[in-house]
Amino acid sequence: MVNKLNKSFYNTVLSQTFTPCGNYLVVGDIYGTISVFHLSKLTNQGSSITKEDQLPKNAFTIKEDVQINSLLTMKAFLVVGTVGEILGYSWKNVKTSKKPSCSWTIEIPNSKDSFDKPDVNCLVFEPENNLLFAACGDNNVYVFNIETRKEVRCFKGHKNYVHCINFCNNKLVSGGEDGLVLLWDVRGGPPVSKIEPHSRDKVARVELGPWIGGVGINDDWLLCGGGPRLSLWHLRSLNIATVFPIDDKGIHVAEVYQDRIFAGGRSNLFYQMSFNGDIITEIPTSPVTTYSAVHQDEPFQTLCIAGSSPKIDVCSNFIYKNLQLSLY
Amino acid sequence: MVKESSSLKKKRKSGTSADNEAEIDIYKKSVEFEEKEALNRPNDTDAQIYFNTCKEIRHLFAEISELKMKSGSDVRAKITEKTTEVCLLLVLLKKLNRMEKVRLVFPKEQLAAEKQKVDSINLQYQNLLYEANHLMSEYRKCFQFKSKDEHIELVPVEEFLAEAPKNLTTKFKKFDETDEMAKHELRLARLEWELQQRIHLADMCKKLEEEKKKLEGDIAERRNKLDKLGPLLSSVMEATKPVQEHLGLHIDKIQAEHKLASLLPNPLYLFYANIDAYRQVNDSGMSVEIMGDQEEASQWKELELAEDEEEEEEDMEPEAEIQEVEEIVETKKRRHRKSVHVDPLEEKKRKLLQVHPLSVQVTVTTKDGPSIKIRLSYYAKLEIVTVSSSVNIPSNITGNAAREVLSNESVLVELVEGDFGLDSPNPCTPYQLKKVGLGSFQSLVPELGYVYTWAQKMCGIDFLNKMSGSDQLSQTNVESVMKTIKKRLKSRYALAKQLEELERNVIPVLPASVDLPRTTISSLTKWSSGTYQSFCEAKFTEGLLEAELISPNDIFYKATITRDKANLQAFVVIKNDYPSIPPIFALCLNYNGTRHSQNDDNIRDMERSINVDWNHEFSNANWLLSAQIMSLCVGLDIYLETEDPGTFQQNTMYIKSTCARNRRKPFKFRNIGVGVYTQ
Repeated sequence: MVNKLNKSFYNTVLSQTFTPCGNYLVVGDIYGTISVFHLSKLTNQGSSITKEDQLPKNAFTIKEDVQINSLLTMKAFLVVGTVGEILGYSWKNVKTSKKPSCSWTIEIPNSKDSFDKPDVNCLVFEPENNLLFAACGDNNVYVFNIETRKEVRCFKGHKNYVHCINFCNNKLVSGGEDGLVLLWDVRGGPPVSKIEPHSRDKVARVELGPWIGGVGINDDWLLCGGGPRLSLWHLRSLNIATVFPIDDKGIHVAEVYQDRIFAGGRSNLFYQMSFNGDIITEIPTSPVTTYSAVHQDEPFQTLCIAGSSPKIDVCSNFIYKNLQLSLY
Repeated sequence: MVKESSSLKKKRKSGTSADNEAEIDIYKKSVEFEEKEALNRPNDTDAQIYFNTCKEIRHLFAEISELKMKSGSDVRAKITEKTTEVCLLLVLLKKLNRMEKVRLVFPKEQLAAEKQKVDSINLQYQNLLYEANHLMSEYRKCFQFKSKDEHIELVPVEEFLAEAPKNLTTKFKKFDETDEMAKHELRLARLEWELQQRIHLADMCKKLEEEKKKLEGDIAERRNKLDKLGPLLSSVMEATKPVQEHLGLHIDKIQAEHKLASLLPNPLYLFYANIDAYRQVNDSGMSVEIMGDQEEASQWKELELAEDEEEEEEDMEPEAEIQEVEEIVETKKRRHRKSVHVDPLEEKKRKLLQVHPLSVQVTVTTKDGPSIKIRLSYYAKLEIVTVSSSVNIPSNITGNAAREVLSNESVLVELVEGDFGLDSPNPCTPYQLKKVGLGSFQSLVPELGYVYTWAQKMCGIDFLNKMSGSDQLSQTNVESVMKTIKKRLKSRYALAKQLEELERNVIPVLPASVDLPRTTISSLTKWSSGTYQSFCEAKFTEGLLEAELISPNDIFYKATITRDKANLQAFVVIKNDYPSIPPIFALCLNYNGTRHSQNDDNIRDMERSINVDWNHEFSNANWLLSAQIMSLCVGLDIYLETEDPGTFQQNTMYIKSTCARNRRKPFKFRNIGVGVYTQ
């Protein structure tokens, strides 16, 4: 007899990204597997999608049972943040090869021993200076020059691991398990400012803990959430402008996109809201917890939501789910 | 004038001869002379003479008549003279007439002679022609003649040349195809050789025939001897019986069983033969018996033979039988037969469900564990083998749940995936049942027994491949099925032993080789049976049900694990194929609200670590379930200690309480030092 209950049933997607052409979706899961879906083919296919079509077009394992915490798209490479290292794969390999060799690697410094390798929880790329920011499990945010692959600088300040980072115009924001949201100048130095959402009664949720799972930033506003409620802060005054009225048990995705806010986490819904807290859309999600949401406008509008489920929800209009992908 | 003179001469001669004494001679001579004269004289002159004479006569007559007219004396004289002249002329005429006649006779004679000559020649010619024809036909006949030798098959020339003695063949070494004589001689030689050979072979045949007769005699003699030996041997056997009994040998019993085996229906016989062989070679903890009455079985066999004949009869008139039921049967014989059947449908039902009086019972025992009796019976009309079983549960198993997994039906169910033994593997069965007005096969199972496909295969019946009575099929299956049954029995016993303890809320002791901590604060507080229905009703089982991982045929339990105020409810689903598929757990934690895999990633993670993360190669029926429950307790400890460190004091060793974006908890145990938990 075959054991039908296998570990794929319990799979969780932690990170997603689109290829530079936008036709493919690349996802990374907790078992160290990167799966590639042919998105454009599926969205054009319309209603006649079989179970086979929902499966990945290509999949390969980087390292068995080592989480793929973050993915990042660059022009020539797919950048993969796993545990203890960042790997670069050429796109051609990613799309077709079953066992691609990586083009380059960056070891996270200070990884003391094999037992305690830091997770690379979040990767962002600053194209102007060719800088790669990595939020890591050893409480630091590292900055690497992508050309030389050398560490340029390191932001130290968090007391626990860093969940997420974001930047806008030389301002870098990071949120950590310790409940701190720190603002940095990309060019270096100590934190410019610091907020502690869990200490504000308006947003704190003691039963969920202080951790910050998602941060977003634009020129005037800062968005953060996690254990504390999702809230919008005014950057200069560092005061809470909006507390979003959503029903969740922890925020893992928070993003400022144009004049809207995307938010997801341990909730059955994925939210789009305006800055003043009005809910624009609520999208029901397959996973218990949403860990990743990526979107693109070109070549076609797509929003992909994934989390603690082998299923990935795809919305081609940002309003309702019209396609589901499956890892197995 | 010459004529006249000659005729005158004659007259004188004849006158003189006649005057002579030998009148007859003269006549004869004159006749001869006249004849000669007639022949020698030409006819033309005679004809001329004749005409002239006739003319003279006429002249004379005319003179006479003239004279007569004239009267005178001289006339008279003249007349007389003239008359005399006429008379003389008349004589001449007469002579001419005679000669003519003579001349006519001669040619006539000559003609007749010539004619005769021609006739004879003609005759001769005919004869010769006939003879020629005859000869021709004979000649042809000769050519068509076929000699007998042409029908004789001769050895080919090459062989003849090679094999015949030299003195026969030397002549033909340089054989010329065109030489007819040589060809003939060769044929003769070959024929002679053939004759020799045949004579030789005939001799040989005779000899062999004789030998055969002799051997036949020999055989008959020996058979006689052997026949006499039979009774002797049986009497010896009889005599040795007390000795056998004294020594405790069971030759008789085995013999009786083998005799009984010959009465088994074919499928069961195959099974019996193979299982008995398997038992003798591989498995001493197994016994095979044939159950049933020998008398009945032999009756059955006779009946079967009779029925076969009857069936053949019926085949000839297939329509008739259906009509029989409704119509009055014409023949007396048939009426008699029919009158015995009170209700034909009932009778048919009975016949269809008739079981062969003999069945094979296999008893499988495990070392100091339960034993199972599996009884295979054969339904001849349905052509299926049914299984009934009974398990002898050892006395140390007392708990309800534990006894349940060892219950009769439960042990053998799903030996092969999806094989519940409730649907007849024979595709004909539904039609057969419908024909006699019976419902589905499932409703008959309690009466007939289970029809597992492995049982059919062990008996050499394979319905998919339409193979029936295949010894090879039976052979290959007996071993694997018996091994499976034994393994199943063992794993069920192991499971029962664990359940026995679990029912008393004790987690069985794990062997030292299992990498798990032995001390936990959480403990098992309740263990009870569950049902598929209750499993479906629970909200936290949705995901597992949706993925169709649970079947109603699985065995369900409910476990509760408690630590202080928190209690963890777990549905435990044990698959029939335990332990090759580990039990599946569905979890629900009651602590500050209900948390389960549908609303809490960490519970989902815990479920995963229990359900999936087992290294199946090392899993063992004896401790798999216990180990899972043990790790469930540990999981609860970790969950509570990391979730709410203020309330629950840390007991487990872990490095980080959470890590990475998904805030994983350290459910993975590493056997380092006292044991460390990592993500």
